[in-house]
Amino acid sequence: MIALAAILAVTGATVGLGVYGVRLARTTSDLFVASRAVSAWWNAAAISGEYLSAASFLGIAGLQMKMGSGALWLPLGFTAGYLALLLFVAAPLRRFGAYTISDFAEARLRSRGLRRLSAAIVLLIGGFYLVPQLKGAGLALGEVIGAPYWVGVVTVGGVVALNVALGGMRGITYVQAFQYWVKTFAIALPACLLLIHLGGLPERAAMFGREFPQAPAGGLRVTLDAPQPVTFPEAGTVVADGVRVAATAGEERVLPAGEVVVPAGMAVPVAEGTDAQRGEEWARPISRTGDASPVFVYSLLLATFLGTMGLPHILVRFYTNRDGPAARRTTVRVLGLLGCFYAFPAVYGALGRVLVPELYLTGDTDTVVLRLPEAAWPGPAGELLGALVAAGAFAAFLSTASGLLVSLAGTISYDLARTRGPAVRRRRFRLAALGAMVVPAALALGARGLDISVLVGWAFALAASTFCPLLLLGIWWDGLTARGAAAGLLSGAVCATAAIFTGLVFELEHRSLDAVLTQPAIVSVPVAFAVMAGVSLLGPRGHRPPDAELLALHAPEGLGLGLEEAVAPAR
Amino acid sequence: MSTRRTPRDELAEATPHGRLYLRRLIRRQLGLSMLALVAFGGFLGSLPLALYLLPGLQDVDVLGVPLPVLLVVLPPYPVFVAFGWLYARRAAALEDAFRELVEPVE
Repeated sequence: MIALAAILAVTGATVGLGVYGVRLARTTSDLFVASRAVSAWWNAAAISGEYLSAASFLGIAGLQMKMGSGALWLPLGFTAGYLALLLFVAAPLRRFGAYTISDFAEARLRSRGLRRLSAAIVLLIGGFYLVPQLKGAGLALGEVIGAPYWVGVVTVGGVVALNVALGGMRGITYVQAFQYWVKTFAIALPACLLLIHLGGLPERAAMFGREFPQAPAGGLRVTLDAPQPVTFPEAGTVVADGVRVAATAGEERVLPAGEVVVPAGMAVPVAEGTDAQRGEEWARPISRTGDASPVFVYSLLLATFLGTMGLPHILVRFYTNRDGPAARRTTVRVLGLLGCFYAFPAVYGALGRVLVPELYLTGDTDTVVLRLPEAAWPGPAGELLGALVAAGAFAAFLSTASGLLVSLAGTISYDLARTRGPAVRRRRFRLAALGAMVVPAALALGARGLDISVLVGWAFALAASTFCPLLLLGIWWDGLTARGAAAGLLSGAVCATAAIFTGLVFELEHRSLDAVLTQPAIVSVPVAFAVMAGVSLLGPRGHRPPDAELLALHAPEGLGLGLEEAVAPAR
Repeated sequence: MSTRRTPRDELAEATPHGRLYLRRLIRRQLGLSMLALVAFGGFLGSLPLALYLLPGLQDVDVLGVPLPVLLVVLPPYPVFVAFGWLYARRAAALEDAFRELVEPVE
């Protein structure tokens, strides 16, 4: 119940601050208000706050527990993405004054059609990214109040959609900055206390040695809601719903719904979709065989490194920097703040393998962060810390989902429709906010079996294969044409989505091919770049950007050459 | 007052001369970014490769954790910040130099 109170407090504070902030900033758009005097630290905390999603808070630890230390490349890539953004995009895009990628595409290449195409891709990426947030919410609410999965998905989806429709969370810098500190505190404090409390890492044989995760002394009792196909890593007998089920090593059985009892010391059977790994294999960040193959690791790093700049809800935040150099300073701070957060999820993934092995049986490894405190401290202390992580997880869903939904609703109501009066626009934005939640929520209801981090990985792969080439070539190469950009966007998007869906539909046995399909960036990004550049070079000469546009992107401040200073006298 | 045209004016009026200045600035900035990219890519890209080629590191324990796990979780982040900080400083210095070039203070 403490956890429910904590969740309600975080949700209430977010909604309340959002509504209050909007009332304060009624007359001027917050983006303009913020652009005046938000310091680099505030901006950096806000960017990090909006960025740290369910994938960071729950997904990394969950995937690490399930597939092994190969998952630890994820946070590295999530952070490294900001370095790519810093090197190539942050300062020029801030100077150019484009809020969104669609704005940039239209302004730079003078093509209304390209704006629509970009808008469609924004919807695709944003939708892909919303699904795992809602999945996390469904799992978390189920953990906390024991509600069925769909209740959490529908509730959080509804709250976020209503909040955005009513005008809350529209780029409120301070709310997002607050969320960053909530999340970092909520993940760091229990992690540090866990390590102190346990005096290091328990059961090292299961973590790093020859053993599989085992049922603890006294046996393991889990309740299954539905029949569950499992694999027995070692021969043994469990009692499922009162019936003894004996199996040999490697045998697959379906356990009926009801209580399962695994006797003390027996290797825990693992749910379908998970490979039972011995500790030494599980602990390898990269290996010749298994999930952490080099192709997969490099493709994942590439997708996250190049994909971050293409996430629709992130780029808009850079507009609240004063100028180009301020955008760079902010990004350097983001690198530091994200690093502070990402040091901790690994603690949960590692300890979860030993302290909550029942998640291997149920397949819900994504809930390890939420489960761990109460497993380590049965009693009020665990309940209190459990409430803290639940609150942090909710901060993660709310901030990311709201940021995404604002982008999606803005894209639907502004980019895809013809402009009318402000009243019509406002009404349309509200409708779009409600409508844009429906499809991701429906997908989330069907996506329970997919890992949060895998889902987010697709959004990154898609962003890296579409908007990354558009931004990089658009900013740094004057030969890019609208036709080339459109061809590149289409081929990148088609290539990435086709690979993902093929991998989803066909269960492939071939490991490295499987890796490319589930994480296609290593193929789709070069394809998108090549098509974009090739079509631009071969096709008819399009609109050559006049120097004014290149000046707007690259001229240093203080010379009176940039867009925003053009009217001011130079000296 | 002054009738002498500075490079800044040429840039603002987009004369062929001004174009040249602009291209040079863009090339320099891009060169710096590419240099940083190669250095950073070398750092981040070599980490998986090193761990892949040296599986024996797995047996080295530091603070009770196999060294490769620790190497992936902690040290890269400060290095990221250092890369970012150095780049931002160099990029700002390039812009200062450009300002001096096109609008010399007399």
